[in-house]
Amino acid sequence: MRFDAVAEDDPGPQWARCQEAAWPAFLAWFLSQGDAARPDYLECRRAMREHMPELVPVWQRLVDVAGGGDQVARALSLWRPSPYLSGCSQAVWQRGESFLVRNYDYHPKAFDGTVLRSRWNGTAVLGMLDCLWGLLDGCNEHGLAVALAFAGRRIVGRGFGIPLLLRYVLQCCTDVESAVATLARVPSHMSYHVMLLDRAGRHGRVTVHPDRPATWSEDGAVTNHGESIEWAEHARATRSIERLRTLQHALHDSGEDRDRFVRRFLRPPLFQVEYSRGHGTLYTAIYRPNDRSLELAWPDGSWRLPMDGFPVGSMTVTYPEESRA
Amino acid sequence: MKKKLSGLSDIRRYFHRNDTPYWFVSATPFNLLGIDEWVRRWSYVNLIDCFDGHHPRALVPPRDQDRVFESIEEITNYLLRHKQVVDGIEANGGGKAVFLFFDEETESICDELGLQVCFPKAKLRQEIDNKVVTTRIGNEAGVPSVPNTLGKVTGYESLVAMAKKAGIGTDLVVQTAFGDSGHTTFFIASEQDYAKYAEEIEAEPEVKVMKRIRCKGAALEACVTQQGTIVGPLMTELVGFEELTPYRGGWCGNEVNAEAFPLKVREQARDYTFKFGEALRKRGYRGYFEVDYLTDLDADELYLGEVNPRVTGASSMTNLAAFAHADAPLFLFHLLEFADVEFELDVQDLNRRWSDPENIDDWGQLVIKFTKDEIQHVKKAPASGIYELMPDGSLQYVRMQTHRRTAERENRAFFLRIVGEGDYFYEGADLGILVSRGRLMTEDFQLNERGRAWTRGIRALYHGEPLVKTQAEQVASRIADAGGFKML
Repeated sequence: MRFDAVAEDDPGPQWARCQEAAWPAFLAWFLSQGDAARPDYLECRRAMREHMPELVPVWQRLVDVAGGGDQVARALSLWRPSPYLSGCSQAVWQRGESFLVRNYDYHPKAFDGTVLRSRWNGTAVLGMLDCLWGLLDGCNEHGLAVALAFAGRRIVGRGFGIPLLLRYVLQCCTDVESAVATLARVPSHMSYHVMLLDRAGRHGRVTVHPDRPATWSEDGAVTNHGESIEWAEHARATRSIERLRTLQHALHDSGEDRDRFVRRFLRPPLFQVEYSRGHGTLYTAIYRPNDRSLELAWPDGSWRLPMDGFPVGSMTVTYPEESRA
Repeated sequence: MKKKLSGLSDIRRYFHRNDTPYWFVSATPFNLLGIDEWVRRWSYVNLIDCFDGHHPRALVPPRDQDRVFESIEEITNYLLRHKQVVDGIEANGGGKAVFLFFDEETESICDELGLQVCFPKAKLRQEIDNKVVTTRIGNEAGVPSVPNTLGKVTGYESLVAMAKKAGIGTDLVVQTAFGDSGHTTFFIASEQDYAKYAEEIEAEPEVKVMKRIRCKGAALEACVTQQGTIVGPLMTELVGFEELTPYRGGWCGNEVNAEAFPLKVREQARDYTFKFGEALRKRGYRGYFEVDYLTDLDADELYLGEVNPRVTGASSMTNLAAFAHADAPLFLFHLLEFADVEFELDVQDLNRRWSDPENIDDWGQLVIKFTKDEIQHVKKAPASGIYELMPDGSLQYVRMQTHRRTAERENRAFFLRIVGEGDYFYEGADLGILVSRGRLMTEDFQLNERGRAWTRGIRALYHGEPLVKTQAEQVASRIADAGGFKML
């Protein structure tokens, strides 16, 4: 798997290259229930204007860069997209320095591996791209860091794909308080946990739902289920409960230190190898709001990507063999 | 306030200098072909690219070919929400919209896009489109329908009882309130006949039960304006010819011909249509409509068949006839009615002129469908344009053209292609429409040899190949979903 670090202030040729590479797989996902199942352009535009007006000019610019077509515009709006599940473990460490650490568990074929540092609308944002311009996790110039995890409910409703909500939060919010307000306001099409940490060390998670109000918790750890297990098969298959216990135990263990805590993400049960089943760990990300940096880590290496002095380039990663039952 | 338009040359100049974009949004440009030459800033927005990108005023947005539509309204709304169409409309500052079919959803999309819909409200149109309501309006206006009775039918016995009470015998025709009359007209002379359609008939709250007469169809288009109802010429209807359509009662063409009907019938049709138009105006309806008449071959009577409150498949006949070029196409008066300008027009004088046989040149159109009960993949299809019928019966492509006017002699015709290369043939699929000068039917209303020769010639320009089995099943299920609705 190749990871690319790409820097471009405004949408242009660099983003266009990422878009072109990711488009075929993205379109297949967009059309997985047929073109007619996805909302029309006017509906998408209405939703963007109503819920994310500040992002509309960026959306239009990206659509133009990607050729200006109807499908591109609808797909990029991420309004009522195809269902989307992912497995993740995430936690906030706050002894000494504060950082947000997360594992992203998904299928390698449905993942682009692109970290983009941009300055769209004048705000510098750094993060792991998903759905062409959305984010799986990221941080902005104000030192606000966010990451998403599927919250284990099957219900789908009228809302945006979560990666775009993360993009919106980082483009428009400066701290945890404003991020919480934004996440509570903008509808999400499925249930997700969004872990937040800001420069002042405030942290917690918002859980958004398509069918009920968002909830707030100051728990420092989260995996792929909510207060109760609604989807037992998913929770079992992704070992969600076991992973959460591991995180909670470590966070409460006075003997735990920073480095050991991060290393846990690179070992089972947090690190998962079920790649072919769609929930293998693709990377571990550590966001440090203080120096506005991202560090990507794998069992066999790591890559530091600070916002200032961002190193453009690539890194190839080999995932461990999947154990065969 | 703009200056009041006085008379035809003012009206023509008004549209030649028009600054408001007009958008005709529909599956094809067929119904209003040629209007772009009368109205400046006119655009066709279509699903099907009948001209392979060569029509200068047609916008055909790229689309997902697997998408299945179930009605023209759905196509209209799909097109209006497509980004390329939205961009085009907004870049031109909105304007006015014209449709073949639309619904209340269309109206709300037009609000959002800043488009003014050039028709009465969808709700009113829907009401008038109801065949039961049409019959009642006709009765009020003094326009008789074939002897009939209206009511709920619960079984064969109730049908017979209703007919008996109305004194219309037992050889009956039953029509439902809505739908393409080719599919919703049932001929019933016995309990066995009834059994075939019982389900459809009994599902309706009210149906029209008519005495069966020996008749032929005639069509006429008109336009309700503030100055009175303008009436076009009476056209013949081609119905059910097996060379053209797989449907027994299906419409498959029209002719404009001054002498096709006796003077008395023509005058009666004009009078009835004028009266019907005035009755529509009282109900708040304005603009274009079409009336189908039935002429009783045994009693020399003219009856109201149905009314379509819209442009129709016959509109391109009405709007490209000699009188249309001498004065203005009928549809221009519809646009005028929805333009923000006052006008003065001697409607009586115009109607008198349009009924003069001098103003009626002979034209006919054939709507050619795929008539076999099979599915094929279209490998070759003719382009739209002017064709010449050669002595050996083959057709030669003469040039690209967007309407019929330049087909000068009877051996030339304009063909508008609907089914193109890469599409599918299925029973009832529209290959295209052929428009030619001269008659297509004999004196006794059968398809004439010329009509047959042109039909054969067009079919010979197509080539289809059978599908492999798995593909056939897939395509068949899509076509079943689409239900083969009327596209034109």
